[in-house]
Amino acid sequence: MTTLARSSYRVVVVGAGIVGLYTSVHLARAGAGPILVIDRGFLSSGASGRNGGGVRQQWETPATVRLARESVAAYRRFGREFGYNPWFRQGGYVFLAENETELAHLRQVHALVTSEGLPSRVLTPEEVARHIPGLAPGAVIGGTYLGSDGTLYPFPAVWGVYEAARSLGVEVALGVEAQGVEAPDGRVRAILTSAGRVEAPAVVNAAGGWSAEFSRRAGLTAPNTPTRHEILATEPMKPFLDPMVARVSDGLYFSQTMRGELVGGLTLRDGVGVAQGMPSTARFLTEMSRALVRLVPRLGSLGVLRAWSGFYDDTPDGFPIIGEDPRQKGFFHANGFGGHGFMLAPATSLRVARSVLGEPTDLDPNLFAPGRFLDARRPAPVERLQLG
Amino acid sequence: MADAPERRFLFDGAPRSARPGETLLGALTRGELPQLQRSIRYHRPRAPVCAEGYCTGCLVRVNGRPNVRACRYLPADSDVVTTENSWPSPRFDVYGVFDFLFPGGLDTLHGFRRPAWATRAYHRVIRRLAGYGQPPDANAAVPPQAPEIRAPVEVVIVGAGTSGRAAAARLAEAGIRPLVIDRSLETAPVPGADLVPRTTVTFLPAPGPDGFTLLGFGEPNRGFQVPARQVIVATGAYDASLLFGGNDHPGVMTADGALGMRDPSGQPPFRRGVLVGGDARADAVLAALPDRIEAVVAPGPIQPSLVRRASEEQIPLYPRTLLLRANGRSHVRSIDLRSRGGGTRFSLDCDGVVLAHRRLPTPQLFFQVGARMQWRGGTGAYYPALTDAGATTVPGVYAVGSAGGFLGPSSAESGVRVADAIAGRPASDGTALARVLADGPSELEGYYRELWREPRAGKWVACPCEDVLLKEVEEASERGYRGIEVIKRYTGVGTGLCQGRYCLPDTLLVLSMLETRPPSDVGYITQRPPVVPTPLAAFAALATADRPPEAR
Repeated sequence: MTTLARSSYRVVVVGAGIVGLYTSVHLARAGAGPILVIDRGFLSSGASGRNGGGVRQQWETPATVRLARESVAAYRRFGREFGYNPWFRQGGYVFLAENETELAHLRQVHALVTSEGLPSRVLTPEEVARHIPGLAPGAVIGGTYLGSDGTLYPFPAVWGVYEAARSLGVEVALGVEAQGVEAPDGRVRAILTSAGRVEAPAVVNAAGGWSAEFSRRAGLTAPNTPTRHEILATEPMKPFLDPMVARVSDGLYFSQTMRGELVGGLTLRDGVGVAQGMPSTARFLTEMSRALVRLVPRLGSLGVLRAWSGFYDDTPDGFPIIGEDPRQKGFFHANGFGGHGFMLAPATSLRVARSVLGEPTDLDPNLFAPGRFLDARRPAPVERLQLG
Repeated sequence: MADAPERRFLFDGAPRSARPGETLLGALTRGELPQLQRSIRYHRPRAPVCAEGYCTGCLVRVNGRPNVRACRYLPADSDVVTTENSWPSPRFDVYGVFDFLFPGGLDTLHGFRRPAWATRAYHRVIRRLAGYGQPPDANAAVPPQAPEIRAPVEVVIVGAGTSGRAAAARLAEAGIRPLVIDRSLETAPVPGADLVPRTTVTFLPAPGPDGFTLLGFGEPNRGFQVPARQVIVATGAYDASLLFGGNDHPGVMTADGALGMRDPSGQPPFRRGVLVGGDARADAVLAALPDRIEAVVAPGPIQPSLVRRASEEQIPLYPRTLLLRANGRSHVRSIDLRSRGGGTRFSLDCDGVVLAHRRLPTPQLFFQVGARMQWRGGTGAYYPALTDAGATTVPGVYAVGSAGGFLGPSSAESGVRVADAIAGRPASDGTALARVLADGPSELEGYYRELWREPRAGKWVACPCEDVLLKEVEEASERGYRGIEVIKRYTGVGTGLCQGRYCLPDTLLVLSMLETRPPSDVGYITQRPPVVPTPLAAFAALATADRPPEAR
């Protein structure tokens, strides 16, 4: 039904989520030429419209801390840059430790984060309790806190980059699916879509939970896998919780949004793929509720308003996949964000755009390059803070 | 019961009492519409609308628990009840100034971006305008209440109305004892069935290998769970709202609300009511409240039985009439109208507007379980696709009564047929049952097209739970955002406490007009569990027995 405006483009971006749209904005600003963004669903139908809105800078490698710090700066100016207010509120992130092993892990993160110049703090249980009114006694043995971490309301951020892309001349075609790539001689020449074939020398795979599938449709093996994660929101309340709270042991996270709802999730890895859809489950609702009530008993009488689910695009080492695929010239990855696409989008999409334009980037290939999974001998750093 | 003592409680510091079995809302109403709330964002005066546990008009704080629905709560002795979201009181609330300061609404999507140094102050103000109540008191921690986990049953019937009872009785005849779950506060016994009263089924997930597992809760926070092989959904229907200026003023209520807020002598909480509607539902309301209805106004034609009843009572009729605006502030005083087809504008004085023009099915469980839904223009709503025997496209899930779109006497008959199908009896006579029309535009589509040519004054509230204005929906559409799923995310319409029950049906029709495509193409939002807010403690009590955290 949808007809595309042109038959050839300089770049086709697959995925109109925050990563794909942000990338198209950077490309258009650099004057890359005609750009097409396609998405199989409606705007914000994927993880960009389903996430908990956390944006943190507490990570385990200097590279990710720096990308996150750059993203925080971008979200601080987002409203003035894009005309939409994402209500990015720097209420901090509190990480909770329940035992010495977890606390030791958080201390390592703290050491790295402070060495990068960010004033994170190690908290005593009493200090944790001051950040979380009603915390159950004895629930934690400590934690860490960084006040400049925060949360945002994801939808306005999507509308902002979407409208910016369109006003820069980017064509955004919704309800159009990417079906394959023509790459004779290992070089991208055309993209096959449900709205027809379009020629382009470059394609960006920013399809989130569907990106591994698109890589395979392009004839490339993919290390990433979609994992369904669920989330719930409670009835709205007057403000009572400032920070995002995240627990190392089970991936529990929650914050209070600008609309007053408590929004959060819990890691229940059940390995279902996109084919199984995005239902909510009784297991998540009951286990998430139990985790919340045990941690903050006073919340017990609060109603669960709704629950939903979406996909994390997980990689084996916890780092995203960014850059050109060494097996297919012109095929660029901007995926594998493992639930962190929103928080890293501003900084990483700039690097994606640069690599599409053939410019060098500052990304460590050992951590981010698509080729890292092709070399079995490579030493493998792993990012373990895969939550919130 | 007559001699049972009254329950004595405190309401905003003043001693009040409730009769045994009387809800908190009933005790606070007694013939006078109480004003218990202010709206979430603009602090507009609000009063109860539905009296059946969905709207936000009767949320109060009870013993330190926020957002308790007065219409669903039976007071206990020495309860402390306070109003929320207003200061000093819902009748006079200083925050009401927001409504005057922002006659065109607050644009939180594009506003509050400059200057950068004001960001923190903006956050403080906007967060303060969210939420109805303060979080639960620190000492209001809910004592663990043992969940009610039932042994597996063959057949569950959700809802003990006419069709649910008909199905239960017929199953009992065939030697199958169903489990009936009903959310009413008082449910008469169901012969031949086990009854779980005062319990709301809020989640019907898609079936697993062993069939269905229904989740829910009994007030205040007792978790409920039952596995079942087959599920008969008899969740009934409700009275929808309507878009006009000041459609959220106290005194505007649904027919459910008018009937549900009657005092012990049977009188509603208004004296001079305008009844909106022209079909069987409006007829039933007039029959129940003949002394308090002064006029009947219908968006479309008025059916003969209602014409007869109204003329017997000497009540004027205004068929095919546009509702333009409810006047008044803390209470509706009059309503502005215009005959369709370009008649003159006129007003009727009233202190109550009763919406009985459109009865819609309660379809959430069908959506949750993944049954195929069909748009039916007759009322302009989605209904499950059904076989002649009442089976949905999900094996083991059946629809009966008005939830399935069956009308009048066919409602009970639909329950009998489903029971026969489950019991393996030969089908009844096989005649088709009367069901909501599948084809054609609903009466309201033409109505809204005509209404859109009228000038609009004051706030038109598309979503009362979240105070989303109709204007915001129109602006989103003008910017090119299309489809109800995107409009929901853009404006917040449908994300409030009623889960879209009162805003979506009309928003869908408006979007159909703005997008110039049929309502069924505008789509529908995913109906997310739970159907009504379910306390965290109720769900928590249903969590599987302690086991180590997931392997990571």
